[in-house]
Amino acid sequence: MAEEKFFTRREFITALTAIGGSAAVAIALSEIEPLAELIQRELALELPEVRREVAHARGKARHHWAMLIDLRKCIGCQYCVYACQAVNNVPDDMRWNVYVPEVTQTGVPFHMTRPCMHCQDAPCTAVCPTRATWVRDDGIVIMDYSLCIGCRYCQVACPYEARTFNWKAREGDSGYQAEWGAAEVEPRPRGVAEKCTFCVHRIDRGLAQGLVPGEDRPATPACVNICPVEARVFGDLNDPNSRISRLIDELPTFRLREDLGTEPNVYYVPPEGMTL
Amino acid sequence: MTTAIATLRRQVRAYPVFATWLMFLGVMLLVGLVSAAAVLWVGLDVTNLSNRVPWGLWITVDLSAIALGAGAFSLSTIVYIFRVKSFAPIARMAVFVGFVGYTSAMLALVMDIGRPDRFWHPMVYWNVHSVLWEVTMCVIFYSAVLVFELAPAVLESEAVVKRFPRGPQIAHVMHRFTPVVSVVGLGLSLLHQSSLGATYGVLAARPLWFKPTLPVMFIVSAVAAGSTFTLALTVFYENVIGKRQISSKLRGHIAMFAGLMMLAYLYLKLWDFLATFYYSHLPARVEANTLLESTTPYGTTFWWLEIVLGALIPAIILLTPALRRQDLWVLLGGFLAVGGVIANRWNVTLSGLVVPMDWSPGAAQLFSVQPYTPSLAEWGVAIGVLGYALTMFTLGLRFLPLFNHEAHGEH
Repeated sequence: MAEEKFFTRREFITALTAIGGSAAVAIALSEIEPLAELIQRELALELPEVRREVAHARGKARHHWAMLIDLRKCIGCQYCVYACQAVNNVPDDMRWNVYVPEVTQTGVPFHMTRPCMHCQDAPCTAVCPTRATWVRDDGIVIMDYSLCIGCRYCQVACPYEARTFNWKAREGDSGYQAEWGAAEVEPRPRGVAEKCTFCVHRIDRGLAQGLVPGEDRPATPACVNICPVEARVFGDLNDPNSRISRLIDELPTFRLREDLGTEPNVYYVPPEGMTL
Repeated sequence: MTTAIATLRRQVRAYPVFATWLMFLGVMLLVGLVSAAAVLWVGLDVTNLSNRVPWGLWITVDLSAIALGAGAFSLSTIVYIFRVKSFAPIARMAVFVGFVGYTSAMLALVMDIGRPDRFWHPMVYWNVHSVLWEVTMCVIFYSAVLVFELAPAVLESEAVVKRFPRGPQIAHVMHRFTPVVSVVGLGLSLLHQSSLGATYGVLAARPLWFKPTLPVMFIVSAVAAGSTFTLALTVFYENVIGKRQISSKLRGHIAMFAGLMMLAYLYLKLWDFLATFYYSHLPARVEANTLLESTTPYGTTFWWLEIVLGALIPAIILLTPALRRQDLWVLLGGFLAVGGVIANRWNVTLSGLVVPMDWSPGAAQLFSVQPYTPSLAEWGVAIGVLGYALTMFTLGLRFLPLFNHEAHGEH
């Protein structure tokens, strides 16, 4: 090969100096006030004692909303699907709350329904580039449609396929209102993501009126109210006497894909014939 | 007006090949504009994307364009940070290719997001936990770096100098900052080129994606393919104007650098494959792979387009002196490397998405593989973005002094 060697010694030394210089610049940058503060805050979040503190602070939040779905009771009527579509104004191809017929490992059929899991460590909120979605202190994962840029990373990241996207502009209501109840939420604009909100508008309004979500119907999610067999229970995990707290204490429950560490706030009671 | 038409007619007669090429570019841009109008007017409903497969062809275009622009930071780093002066004649061309790559990517991205009017939101509403936020910020800042690095070429161009004689002086001053700007550019590129891989690599719910190798493979493949692309484009240009722009020695060095990066990429790919499929058998991953192999051409495209044609053969061409001395081989190598990186970005994106999520506790096979074929509008926008890139290359190579200053004003 007639080509000369890659680096001369001089070039090599200057290269090393340049690398050292870049490192120095990086170190100097980390001294800049706002950046240093940011770094410190980020690092602090990872410390176990801070994590515990954050968890404790969350625990001290007044409420922690959660849902229990009893798969032994569910009869697969799909009323919860339709009531959600009516109240939250959700068209068929964008359902927030879905139903699928399932079978257990031993071949026993059962009915599976899935709202948003409202994860405490929600992958969708971590990946959003604009803070358009976050976990509230009371455990509800919520969206600000006016911040969403429609990148759909949250859809890609959600392990439960709980998010849908407004591929086209909506015309009118979702069509379920006549039979299943009036729409309580505006349709979302074209080009943003959306998901189940645990009917947060009912919860917030209900609390302001002194109602108890999960017990007083106007303050309870539509899917829970409509269920004819009371397979869905909603309530406050911070209240040890709430119905949901007592049921979770008594019954065997599981959450979907617990292996992923998302800490969902939706608990399931396994159907007959399913071993946990 | 009539004189203008007469001049145009004379020009077309004098340069029929160039005129045909411009017509071809015009058609591509027109197709792109019509498709873009449809997307903006109707919305993303005109695509074949769905709630299960929300990312597709445009993300592939975007990732590929950014990868192919990586020659800019790689070769600039060699010239300005490692001070390998012999690489200097390719630096401007590399920066220019980077500029075209990044602007193409931003075009594709703006079409892809549901609310193009809110493209600026990540800059204001920071979510520092999002890889995509980091990517967005880096891409924006790095584009500014590219503009700064490319500005001297514009200021020294014939057209600018004629109207603005002080241009070269300003360019000279700007040029003195290039090493500093290059350090910033290197930092930004190291961040976002890998974070684009991390965009997929950090998602625990997708077994085919969730691995720490993706960010590293993304940046190494980008450096390899990006440098190869810059070299091949230079050789192509040399053939168009019938005049050498870089010495055969420099050509050898660039080829060697790109070839070695290609080998490094193949080595990473090999160990990625061995660690995830040969020496370990994570059930979710094996299941996802089996599903892909049985329903899509993933296996074939992975081994043939990505590995053999896209990396192995380019590496052999680039590292064999007898081959890389011949223009045709370098062009073939460049073509294959570009194809390889596009195939890789497509495969990574779609393999993770078309395999259905497994969230239900039951045993039923609820969801099958979700097929995805881009719609006409998606192809149209992709063609438009390609048309934009080719138009920029044509204009830049025609009007900007991208190689040595002596060549300036001679074609």
